[in-house]
This record gives sequence, C-alpha cells and structure tokens, in this order.
Amino acid sequence: MASIAGAERIIAGLKEAGINLVSSVPDINMLQLINLLYEDKEIAHLPVGREEEGIGVCTGAHLAGKQTAMLMQNGGLLNSCNGLTTTALQFGIPILLLIYYAGDIGDNAFHMVGLVTEPVLQGLGIKHIVMRDPARVKQDIAGAVTLANSSKRPVALLLTRAVL
Amino acid sequence: MKRFECFQAIVPLIKDELFVTTAGGATAEWNAVRPSDGNIQVKTLGLCSSIGLGLAVALPQRKVFVFDGDGALWMNLGSLATIGLHQPKNLIHICWDNHQYESSGGEPTAATADNLDFAGVARSAGIKSSCAANTVEELKEAVRHALNNDGPHFICANIAPGRAEAPPLKYDELENKYRFIRYIEETEGINILRIPMPASYLLK
Repeated sequence: MASIAGAERIIAGLKEAGINLVSSVPDINMLQLINLLYEDKEIAHLPVGREEEGIGVCTGAHLAGKQTAMLMQNGGLLNSCNGLTTTALQFGIPILLLIYYAGDIGDNAFHMVGLVTEPVLQGLGIKHIVMRDPARVKQDIAGAVTLANSSKRPVALLLTRAVL
Repeated sequence: MKRFECFQAIVPLIKDELFVTTAGGATAEWNAVRPSDGNIQVKTLGLCSSIGLGLAVALPQRKVFVFDGDGALWMNLGSLATIGLHQPKNLIHICWDNHQYESSGGEPTAATADNLDFAGVARSAGIKSSCAANTVEELKEAVRHALNNDGPHFICANIAPGRAEAPPLKYDELENKYRFIRYIEETEGINILRIPMPASYLLK
C-alpha cells in the first residue's frame, strides 16, 4: 500500500519543478497522492472523468501559462493516446505524465496493460523513466519537467509502488 | 439557420474573447468571419471542450468560447459532467448541431434521430445556464446573456447542414499555437513562453 511519505515526496517534487496544475483520474495506489492534491492550496487540481479529457485540460491550461501534469494509471495512458498524439505532440505541448505502472513486475493486476505500457510510450515518441528509487523522486520529476519544456512534448514518469 | 449566418450575427458581440474551435467545419468559417490570433483550432475530435475548460480555469478573468459539433460532443459527452463539476464562470460552450458528421461526409451522429437533447444533458450535468437556440435571434440573445453573466454556459445551436465557402486556415497548428499564446501574452500583459537558456550562456 502506498505511503503518505511517498505521496508527500512526490508533491514536494512537483512544486519544486514548478507544476501548478494537475489533472487526474484515480488509482488505488495513488490514493494518498490524490488526497493530498485535493487538499493542496498551491497546485490547482482538476479531476476529469476520462484521461484524454485531462490531456485537453492540460493543453488548454498550458496555453495560458500553467505548468501542468496529468496523473493517471497506465490504462488511462492507453485511453488518451489520440489526445496525446493529435493534440499534445502535434501542437508541441509540454505535459508531465505521472502514470501508475500497473502490471509491472511484482504487481498482480492488469498484467496486459503493464506489458504494453513502455512499448506504447516508445511508439508515441514519449520519453519515460521507470521510478523505483524513492531517493531519486525529486530529481526525476525535475528532469522530466525540464525535458518536457525544452522539447515541448509530454514526458512520462512511471510510478511504481516503491516510490508511492 | 445556417452556421455561417449565425457567425455573422454574433461577431459584432465579440471583442477580445478567446475561441477554441472544433476539428470540424466551424473552424474555417469562424476564422473567415473573425480572423484573430485569439482563435485556436483543435485537431482531436471531441477535445475542444476539454481544452476550453483548461484554458478557462487557467485564465479565469477572460471569457473563453468553445465551438463544438454534435459528432465531437458525442465523442466527449463526459466533458459536460467535468465542466459541471468545475463550474468555470467564464466558459461559453456552443454546440453547432447539424445532426451529422459534416466533415466526414455527412454520416449520422447520435443527434440525428432527434432523441438527444444536448442542452438538457448539459443542464443535468450541472451547467445551469443551458439552452437551445433555433433562430438567429435566439442565438444572439443567448450569446449576449452568456457574455454578460457568470457561467458556465452551454448553448445548443440547432443549425441546418451545409458549409459556406471559407478559405483554409493560414497557419498550421504550431504557428497557430504560438500566435495564440502571444495574443494572450499581449492582451493580458503577462509572460507565458519561456525559452530555455542554453547552459553555455549561464557559464561565466
């Protein structure tokens, strides 16, 4: 089960990297993280019903100057592929994708989603890091946001239970 | 009523509002009637309402119009519930309902059978200022109301099919994006685009 400390570390990393708007669809493994986002006063939190909506919300907010992130499970990454392709990538929109890595080694649910997650990101041309070390959380977030801004593309962080 | 005559009727009401226009016929026609860097075209069918929501939330002091279509809104009908949840006061969402996928050749949509009441769905989703417009006068009144009152607003404009002659957009999506952002920067007096400084510039 995810820990408060893991969620707090990620929120602190997002703030240090300048993230000020997060759209989300929940997963049980991100419960603490989502709960913190609901309470946070500095980061605008916009829950959506389907992940592709969130890609649209982040895009619209970026146009007005927000530094955005989309929080979702990897099943939601699959739901949002067209929005990522024909909106985020085609218009050149930096979005930090925070994706819970269901079906990863050691995770007993959604193994098919886990199997296709990294090949789908590679196919989309979205660079990613699999986050397994809590000590590297802040620098991975900062690095991903730096690359998203310089490349004007989404960059993905795959969150495993080890960092949540 | 036709979409193009509607555009001509409402354009005198428009000042510097921002427009997010659907991946469909409305985009070229709107840009012909109101050429402005304050218009941004959408390339993902259905996503204009979500992009408009993000823009409206990020820029709450500015009115944001979304021009949707019945096929596009069907694809992202859930966005009405999301807008109903977040209640952006500055969002004016218009669905140009011609009862068909006009850009795809005229195939039927969920609206074609006349069972679907988009304005009713929007109202039930929490968008209290929601109405249907069947005449140009009704539409003008609804737009005037939306401009002068807090929203979110939803207007289903029931239009006849058919496109007007309108030239294609002058800009691709990248140029459109940059122009749109620069327009917001200039009209809001803010700095949005940040060009990363190469490390070699930072070294003494």
